[in-house]
Amino acid sequence: MYARSPGKFGENSLEAASAWKRRLNSTLSGAGRKEGGCVWKVSKMNSKGLDISGGKSSPSSTATWVWTRSASASGKRIQRELAELNINPPSDFYAGPKGDKLDNWVATLTGPPGTPYHGGIFFLDIKFPNDYPFNPPEVVFKTRIYHCNVDSAGNLNLDILKDGWSPALTVTKVLSTISSIFTNPDPYNPRSPGIARLYLTDRAKHDEIAAEWTLRFAK
Amino acid sequence: MFKSNNVAARIFERQIRTPAPGTSVHCARQFYENLVPSFTIYDVECPDHSFRKFTDDGQYLISFSRNHQDLIVYRPTWLSYSCKEEDCNGHEPPAKAKRFESFFHQLYCVSLAASNEFICKDFFLYMESNQFGIFATSTAQIQDAPLMGGAIPGVPSIEKITFHLLRLDDGVILDEMVFHNDYVILAYNMGVFLYDDLLAVVSLRYQTIHILQIRDSGNFVNVRAIGAFCQEDDELFLNSSSQFAGNHVDPVENYQSNSDSSFLSGIKQRLLSFIFRVTWSEESDKMQRVQNLKKKFYFHFQDYVDLMISKVQFLDRHHLLIKFGGVVDGGLSRTADHHPSFFAVYNMETTEIVAFYQNAADDLYHLFEQYCDHLHATSRNSLHMNFVSSHSNNIHAQDQLKCMKNKASNTSQFVKKMLSSLPFSCQSQSPSPYFDQSLFRFDEKLISAGDRHRQLTDHPIKFISRRRHILKFKIKSGPEFGSTDGRSKKISSFLFHPFLPLALSIQQTLFLQPPVVNIHFRR
Repeated sequence: MYARSPGKFGENSLEAASAWKRRLNSTLSGAGRKEGGCVWKVSKMNSKGLDISGGKSSPSSTATWVWTRSASASGKRIQRELAELNINPPSDFYAGPKGDKLDNWVATLTGPPGTPYHGGIFFLDIKFPNDYPFNPPEVVFKTRIYHCNVDSAGNLNLDILKDGWSPALTVTKVLSTISSIFTNPDPYNPRSPGIARLYLTDRAKHDEIAAEWTLRFAK
Repeated sequence: MFKSNNVAARIFERQIRTPAPGTSVHCARQFYENLVPSFTIYDVECPDHSFRKFTDDGQYLISFSRNHQDLIVYRPTWLSYSCKEEDCNGHEPPAKAKRFESFFHQLYCVSLAASNEFICKDFFLYMESNQFGIFATSTAQIQDAPLMGGAIPGVPSIEKITFHLLRLDDGVILDEMVFHNDYVILAYNMGVFLYDDLLAVVSLRYQTIHILQIRDSGNFVNVRAIGAFCQEDDELFLNSSSQFAGNHVDPVENYQSNSDSSFLSGIKQRLLSFIFRVTWSEESDKMQRVQNLKKKFYFHFQDYVDLMISKVQFLDRHHLLIKFGGVVDGGLSRTADHHPSFFAVYNMETTEIVAFYQNAADDLYHLFEQYCDHLHATSRNSLHMNFVSSHSNNIHAQDQLKCMKNKASNTSQFVKKMLSSLPFSCQSQSPSPYFDQSLFRFDEKLISAGDRHRQLTDHPIKFISRRRHILKFKIKSGPEFGSTDGRSKKISSFLFHPFLPLALSIQQTLFLQPPVVNIHFRR
């Protein structure tokens, strides 16, 4: 599962290097890497003995202990990603946690100039699973958008949010990928086939409708 | 600039003197100092109706039958009688003065409500240009109705709310507009605002502002609904262009997925993108901007999403002042002081949010203090309403406000309290000259131009001349011979004619006894 993704998305060496750093920081993800995608769950169960945060806790029940532990690990990871995002703020999207819940973020994407989405402000809801980063975050558009990779309920069709997910990916990476589909839609991998068809056959009409949607629903 | 109190002298003076240029509007009503409703007829023999108000042009007195089913409209006339003796003023008025019919002439009685409906007695709007009246009837309120089609939990439901459009001249019902399983606050016109021919109705249950137009022909026409969508044809456009999307779903399912979708509603999208842009441009430095957005925008994102439209008023034909408030324990908070609420100015033509304020915002308070009259949007052709005193057109009212402001220990609490009156309720103020603060001084705790009921006081209410500082007249609402039993709390309301020296004071016990009506007029 994991092995497939770097090739597919052409992770550059920089990404790999930062992933390496993260691996050093987090024993958990390191274990995941070594043993491959399908083994990590087991390795997580095993790793409880290896990596006790503070080493002082004596868990009463294994199941709950694993759960809280993994939640805090994912919390740390999310916090680190937030810090990264704040240190290197990208120019075309912004994101931050909703209230004091760290596992639920809101992102704002601005439609880039030169696209029919220009002038629109798109809100996305990001929900991190408990075992993040081993599973991808759920990303849903909260603003209506006319796009072949987004369905009528706002769900995205992005490989990196499904099978192509890797713990090495970050929210920043996901958001910049989403931001890039504004400029380069992927009609061969559509979520809304009708829009994809129109995009391929009558681009002008597609752009006209998309611009009208932006004006009406995303201002 | 001594002005005589003698009526003949004042008429003569009015004839030969013109006021300084541009000030005639301030002098136009000074003559009312001489014409005051100082004479009271207590406990008039009166039909058992609940009296709502005089229309702002003084043509009609609106009242409802006690069972809240019929509308009875009166035309104010004047008591006339002849006196054979020498000193007429020394005598008591004749016995017929005790009769309500001597002052008011019944025009008609119309049945508005069907069996299980009731007229909302605190709701009435008057469209002066066409002499149309708008009335509301409703069925009983249900607290926990099933939620359907995007209804908000915690808001009660009324099975049927009907707005009736009547030609007041002859009482013909011209049109009706029905809202089903909805909730509109009808008391004191809170949820409805009339501006010229445009009517805004706030559906709390579906979080939608319905804009209706009243045509000269006497019809309600739906103009647009602001809420889930902003433009009137947004939904049509969405459904028609969704066909291009060609999803593998049949239209019915597609529609349902739209209505239940997690998308932000049209008005919320506008609001959030406005707040985002404002917060974004507050900081020019990239790093600080990110921090600013995180703290001010994303942290409160859900709070903004959860805001509810609670009240609306027109500022002009295109702009609405919308109050967004929170929900407290499944109901709109009435004591809104403690909870954050926000005001947005929304242009419904361009579908843009123009401004957004918190309820403790100093800049909004400044506008409120300086330009209050602009917030009291009155229809263009309503002349009397230009005379309603406010702290931005009347120096005395302004002094009073400043005094209150200085006394307030906590400025932000004071600002919140003052701004809680926004958006103003429609047609809630009487244009009567006796409430003109440049002419008379009175205790605002006991009486004011606003049409709220007040608790009855035993003391007479004094109206003191501003210019001469002498008592001009008293209004005593209690019976003259002190027969108040003191046990039952009484509620009094005052209906002042917009320009005649004529007023009704109505005292209602909390129990179902017929009210006591007094007529105050100039003898």
